[in-house]
Amino acid sequence: MKQRAGQLNLAALRQLALLAAYAFGGLALVVWLLGLAASRTGGAVAGGAIDAQNNAITIALRTEPPQLDYGRATDSSSIVVLSHTIEGLLSYDDNMALIPGVAERYELREDGATFWLREDARWSNGEPVTAHDFVFAWRRVQDPATASAYAFIMYPVKNAEAINRGELPIESLGVRALGERVLEVEFERPTPYFDKLVAFVTFYPINEEFFASTNGRFGASANMLLYNGPYVMNEWVHSASMRWDRNPGYWGEHKGWLDTIHVGYITQDVNARLNLFKDGQIADTQLVPQMLGEAMERRWQIDRSMDGTVFFLQLNFREGRITTNRNFRKALLLAQDPVEFVYKALKEPSYLPAVSLFPFWVRGVDGYFRQEHPPPPHEYNVAKARQHLELARRELGLEEFPPLHFLADDSPIGAITSEYYQAVYARNLGLELRIDKQIFKQRLAKMDAGEFDIVASGWGPDYDDALTFGDLFSSWNLNNRGRYASAEMDAFIRVAQSELDPARRMKAFADIQQLVHDDVVIVPMYERGWSFVVDPQLKGFQRRAVGPEVDYSYAWIEERGGE
Amino acid sequence: MMHKAADFLPLGEQRDIHGISRPSLSYWQDAWLRLKANRRALVSLWLVIGLLLFTIAGPWLWRIDPAAQDVDQISLSPGFGRDALIVADYQPWDGSGAAGPLHVIGEANSQAVRLKWDALPGANGHRVYRNVFPVGPELAYGMPLAEFYNNATLHHEDRLDLRPGRYFYSVVALDGNGKVTDNYQSLEVDVRRVTTLADAMQRGLISEQSELAIGDSVKLRWHPLGTDYLGRDMLARLMAGARVSLFIGIVAPMLFVLFGVAFGATAGFLGGKADQFMMRFADFVVALPFLLFMILFKIAFGIGPGESGVMPMLVALVLLMWPATARLVRGQILQLREQGYVQASQLLGARKSYLVARHMLPNTFGVVLVTLTFEIPKAIFTEAFLSFIGMGVAPPTPSWGSMSNEGIATMLTTPHELIFPALFISVTVLAFNLLGDGLRDALDARMRNTG
Repeated sequence: MKQRAGQLNLAALRQLALLAAYAFGGLALVVWLLGLAASRTGGAVAGGAIDAQNNAITIALRTEPPQLDYGRATDSSSIVVLSHTIEGLLSYDDNMALIPGVAERYELREDGATFWLREDARWSNGEPVTAHDFVFAWRRVQDPATASAYAFIMYPVKNAEAINRGELPIESLGVRALGERVLEVEFERPTPYFDKLVAFVTFYPINEEFFASTNGRFGASANMLLYNGPYVMNEWVHSASMRWDRNPGYWGEHKGWLDTIHVGYITQDVNARLNLFKDGQIADTQLVPQMLGEAMERRWQIDRSMDGTVFFLQLNFREGRITTNRNFRKALLLAQDPVEFVYKALKEPSYLPAVSLFPFWVRGVDGYFRQEHPPPPHEYNVAKARQHLELARRELGLEEFPPLHFLADDSPIGAITSEYYQAVYARNLGLELRIDKQIFKQRLAKMDAGEFDIVASGWGPDYDDALTFGDLFSSWNLNNRGRYASAEMDAFIRVAQSELDPARRMKAFADIQQLVHDDVVIVPMYERGWSFVVDPQLKGFQRRAVGPEVDYSYAWIEERGGE
Repeated sequence: MMHKAADFLPLGEQRDIHGISRPSLSYWQDAWLRLKANRRALVSLWLVIGLLLFTIAGPWLWRIDPAAQDVDQISLSPGFGRDALIVADYQPWDGSGAAGPLHVIGEANSQAVRLKWDALPGANGHRVYRNVFPVGPELAYGMPLAEFYNNATLHHEDRLDLRPGRYFYSVVALDGNGKVTDNYQSLEVDVRRVTTLADAMQRGLISEQSELAIGDSVKLRWHPLGTDYLGRDMLARLMAGARVSLFIGIVAPMLFVLFGVAFGATAGFLGGKADQFMMRFADFVVALPFLLFMILFKIAFGIGPGESGVMPMLVALVLLMWPATARLVRGQILQLREQGYVQASQLLGARKSYLVARHMLPNTFGVVLVTLTFEIPKAIFTEAFLSFIGMGVAPPTPSWGSMSNEGIATMLTTPHELIFPALFISVTVLAFNLLGDGLRDALDARMRNTG
């Protein structure tokens, strides 16, 4: 009996082994075939990261632009694509200085501005870019029917805010075309930084005739746009790839030196992008802290840049929230140390611990704003924080503090942030934080609805002026999602908006900075930056704080020596 | 041969008359014998017992708060305790110190490395780099730490995640446009691990009355399995995570198997229309999507963000997972109902309750036990999966699933953060499955005495 069973097992075993061998062989064949197929299609997309022969590069985008209608665009991917393919009145050079774009020259006055457009600026269908294109585009942004999220950025233009609220017809917007090539802007209030604003995508021109021909699909695909920038987008396979070619009709020689930029990959996965870079498939990639060890080992030349965004804990000032108590907010500020958070928990060499609402690179009168007006230093003092907490407890008449609703992003950084602050406030103040992790859109929705006590959020610059941060906590700004409202703050912001003397204007920003600290409107966490690597053959690539996150406009390929 | 009178007395009652060579064994004794012979099942049994001890007794022995963050020892790999030198409290530095080419001011330790240098020739600013390798001919300076766009600042204090060991610092000259040039200076720095008295006291490494002073050395908290990305002790977290995992893994199957048995037995015993109706209801429950109901329960329970989702998970498991057991038990009961001994018992006038209690249920017990041991790993896995996608426990409470999710981000640099929780999930699930396998063989009456 035993013997027979054993024989049976042996036979079965042999059969099993054979089957396994077949399965394994089959699998290997399938993998090989798939690899073959992938290499075929991959080859069609691009010829590696740097293709010196065709003067082309391949890059990856983090996310797919939802659409490229620049009147409504808000996300960084859209801004990257648009700033390579379309040009506004002015643009930035490779050292972040304003240079002429469609406008040859301009004049800023207290009550308005005049832009003289160049003759040779053309759309990709050969039509000239005219002053009417700007008037049409700007009116469209303020049209309530467009529902542009960035309409507020144009509020310095006369009547813009009223039009956006539907109180005035769009024709009353303070912008006029004096002939084909002169654009006349009338201000609502003095706006000394208006030249910096017009480099932003919301101010880009639109050819009215072409717009009408798109039947509401403007910006939905590559042929639903007209281009006037250094590159033309000739191909856009949604969620997969894009191709930007040099625009032969572009007026200038100063940018757009590559013949072709392939956006070969669109992926949010940093590890996937790192692997693509290692395989020589893309020209640059971002490095997160846990990749830096490998990057050093591979002897890459690691670079770094500030991203421009400041991250902070925003507190809720809506009625009924504990965070309306100033002593409580003071305790929150004193009981934590952004230095420890950035250097120990996040371990990001490209981040800076934040001390102010204004990042360090914001310009002042002559140099940096923060050198001219140093922010109040951060004090990490647990004993003092506990005293303030005790005061707050008595003022609020509470026996014990209820758990706090802590809203954060559903991302790796969001997880570290929320769990770090949860432990810090539990240890130092005995407070309980309930973590609510949400995807970006949902977090914004909850911030709008006020469903939080503390939210970890950030604010990035839209234009290169201190006001892009300074007016964040005005009572009328919808991005002030904690609904902080104080007459003092509003008064400072009014000065910062319309004061023409730069020194007095910067003094107003310094007052804002001080008030944000004294009133604990936010608990600053960090100024975000990027560590990244670029293919050594690609020169002139930039990561920017203001404008497009990545900029290939001034990039060129350096031929390898000896080849 | 002479016989005594006593030889002719009648024999008493003889028990051993048939000469039974083996001891009589009950069903359970026999099953236990066969389970003992099954080495795999036995090892699994010990593993399960070990896990239960780890979960219940572990936190009594390893008294470390699983939520406590040791920011000086973040993402530490498993190993022995580390010593640290006690130094004075950190004082901000204004960049004062002797001038000269790139050099360290004061002592280089894990608190801070203070660098100072003279402006490089032709520099319009500098960038400071740190590397773990020497700068080679590739000019790989390492990771950039800071840049200064003028020559006014010629010092930098590095406090970024300093670990004991050797670092290579470089300052590189920037040109007028702020671009990096090939002009650099490099310095080798050995960093010591230090802590301060205040820190050591706060972390409970030394008592308030301790006589340790600056310059003495203190043993840092020992993390045998290392720490996670926020410096939390892995061992303590694994123990705390085991509580959640095993709580769901054992309580949920117990409840729904119990319900399934009652439901299946009733259906099978009643038979006919009632049976049809009850089993169609079970089919209906099978068709309900688990994840959706889990979310619905979470909302229905009024569980806000940041609160534990373990209770709705338990309810969802109990309400949706019982039909498999119910079907099994019903089939068994239908079969048993027609057995000869049941009919005999009926003929002898046994009441229904007696039939069920004496004949039906004990005979299904083996099947039920086997189902239970197979449902436990399933439930553990479900919990791990739900916590992995963020539906389960709320931070800072750990569970093996959420720990795996956190560990994935640093899989390549600090693999222990993923490997340990993943290992625990795998071993637990495997142990319960093998034990179930062994029990099935052991409890199968047809396998009796064939070993």
